[in-house]
Amino acid sequence: MYTELKFTSACFRQHEIFAVSTSAVRRSSYRTSFHGEYRRAGQPRDNSPPWKKIRFSFAKGVEGVQKHFWLLKEEILGRWVGPQGRPLKEHMLEQTRVQWDFRGPDSLKQWIVSSDQEIGGRSEVYLKLSRNNSTCLVYGTLCSTPPRDGETRYSGYCTLCSKRLLGSFDRKKHIDWTSFNTLHLRIRGDGRPWMINIATETYFSHQKNDMYNYFLYTRGGPYWQDVKIPFSKFFLSSRGRIQDNQHPIWLDKVNTIAFTLADKADGPFQLEIDFIGVCNDRAHTEDFAYELYKRNPEV
Amino acid sequence: MNCARRLARIAIRGFAPYARVTARESAKCLNPYGSGVQTLRAFHVGFGHLKDQPVSRGDEHPGHEGSLVTHDSLFEQAAVEAQTKAMFNRVLEVFVRKDIRRRGHVEFIYAALRKMPEFGVERDISVYNKLLDVFPKEVFVPRNFIQRMFNHYPRQQECAVQLLEQMENYGILPNVETKVLLVQIFGEKSHPMRKYQRLMYWFPKFMHANPYPVPRDLPQDPLDLARLSLTRVAADPDACVTVYQMPYTDVSETGADVSLPYIVGIQSLEQRSLLAKHDASRPVFVEGPFPLWLRKTCVHYYVLRAEPVPPEEKVQEPVDPERSFFYPLELNLDLERDLGDDDSFDVDEVEEGPIFAMCMASRGDQATLAKWIAGLQQTNPMLSRVPTLFRLESAPREIQRAGESEQVEPGLEDEPPHRQAMKQ
Repeated sequence: MYTELKFTSACFRQHEIFAVSTSAVRRSSYRTSFHGEYRRAGQPRDNSPPWKKIRFSFAKGVEGVQKHFWLLKEEILGRWVGPQGRPLKEHMLEQTRVQWDFRGPDSLKQWIVSSDQEIGGRSEVYLKLSRNNSTCLVYGTLCSTPPRDGETRYSGYCTLCSKRLLGSFDRKKHIDWTSFNTLHLRIRGDGRPWMINIATETYFSHQKNDMYNYFLYTRGGPYWQDVKIPFSKFFLSSRGRIQDNQHPIWLDKVNTIAFTLADKADGPFQLEIDFIGVCNDRAHTEDFAYELYKRNPEV
Repeated sequence: MNCARRLARIAIRGFAPYARVTARESAKCLNPYGSGVQTLRAFHVGFGHLKDQPVSRGDEHPGHEGSLVTHDSLFEQAAVEAQTKAMFNRVLEVFVRKDIRRRGHVEFIYAALRKMPEFGVERDISVYNKLLDVFPKEVFVPRNFIQRMFNHYPRQQECAVQLLEQMENYGILPNVETKVLLVQIFGEKSHPMRKYQRLMYWFPKFMHANPYPVPRDLPQDPLDLARLSLTRVAADPDACVTVYQMPYTDVSETGADVSLPYIVGIQSLEQRSLLAKHDASRPVFVEGPFPLWLRKTCVHYYVLRAEPVPPEEKVQEPVDPERSFFYPLELNLDLERDLGDDDSFDVDEVEEGPIFAMCMASRGDQATLAKWIAGLQQTNPMLSRVPTLFRLESAPREIQRAGESEQVEPGLEDEPPHRQAMKQ
């Protein structure tokens, strides 16, 4: 699970997600599938064997056993209620779903924040629940001075990433959004442009850093902002580079969603999120917003 | 082989000015097989045979034999005089004129890309085109399938790709001159050409993606900037901006500086009606400063709001049927909506108090904001009867949530930020 998290957060660390304006690129040589854990520039490679990294703890073990068996029980009993533990009528007929909402401190455990401090930068990012325990606040400071390690050229990004769903015994679970076609967010930003990254389950190791992105423009101000982005607008990118061969996002196995800020404006930032939901906009008929035919045309 | 070398020497020495001029001219006219250039091409298949022939460098530093002179130093010397576009262009021209073969052009272009922000030309497409012009033309165009296969002149291609990437970073769209230059320098099937195609495909798609666009050139006048940002956050076309106080700096008789900050406020009709309906016994709060980012500038605004009314005290006013004659404003039909017809989200609405007005001021102290309240009282007489509390923070913080205590607690309002949870 920890490795999986590191993979997921590794691809968000190594991003310069903006297709039009980029700010965090690591110009390291791309090794296909063998490099495993993220290695920060300038650090020696960690060659300790994996069995040395295990930490035994009785209390944690008991807690883990309780948690996993409880989850297993929920899953077995949930099958009698319906698919994924929800009633069949709801599964078939729902037109909207609130996927993440921030009512209570437990909801923050599903999220992880990261910034370019992992590559040696100086941005800071924190996550907390707002007053009234009803929305979350991502805040911090962005600093785009690149770290002095000789290979990094751009820096200055912060991310709020959701942890992927795990079932009992840390089995990977996916989110199924096939009956929806629009992402609906209720946010209150400070005028900065963010980017939404959705990572889906992939099969080949080359697709490991694939992400579907789109921009999240905030208006700023004291009023809440409802943002509706159809999934047909999300474009494919890998390791922060927008790809030539585009295809619409496959919604059946979504793993994580993340919000990234990398707009090269140094200073404090904040973003409040009320909830993240998906809905089925019946008036939206677009399949995909970008060309699917001749990708690399003859010049 | 030797006679070819001697011919090369004679040709380049003798025809050097001619060759330079014709190279330029043929670059300008779009004929790739101009007559003068053909002679030059026939002699050099790569630069290997010219290594033993030192080119006369009359304009090198005469007193610094053997010292390392980087291309950066050319720019630094120019920067000492003036950091303008004209100076930058002059440095480029000096380099171009110095050597027909453009020795060291890759390093020079990298240095120029690094120095562009200092000269203030990083957003100028003509400067990028001029920089691309430094590449010698037609030398790097692959001439057969083997050269096309094997990444012909990889360093130069990488350098051009980095130039286009800097253009991408600053959000500058290349123009047709860039394309013509790239075709002349690298040919059509090259990495820089592909990068150019990608820029030309994706940039127009995302250029107008922002539903709340910020103008590239923000107004310099703080009043205009305040007006722009307040109309942006008000989210109401009916909102009207009022300038309560103009900025004023003067030296009074005693010699002390008297400066009055500007105060610009905004209030819409709906906010005015909400304030008129507000209960006089409940106080209103002036909160701030809250940050608002417009591209790279951050401005701060203040908000006049009230606490949300608790549900037991909420009075549901009956809707006046005469407000709309075309359709009924409320329907009391006894219909049950199935799951398949329900488009609302199953989440509680966040309880927040009404916002009555917003303002921006250059100084955020209580005296200035009290002047704002006094100005608001002229259009909202209700405000003079309502107690106003000030909740001002020295540093900007998150927008207030409902259910706050009524005392000003600047120390307790923000918890000390915990370390970012990288290892959750």
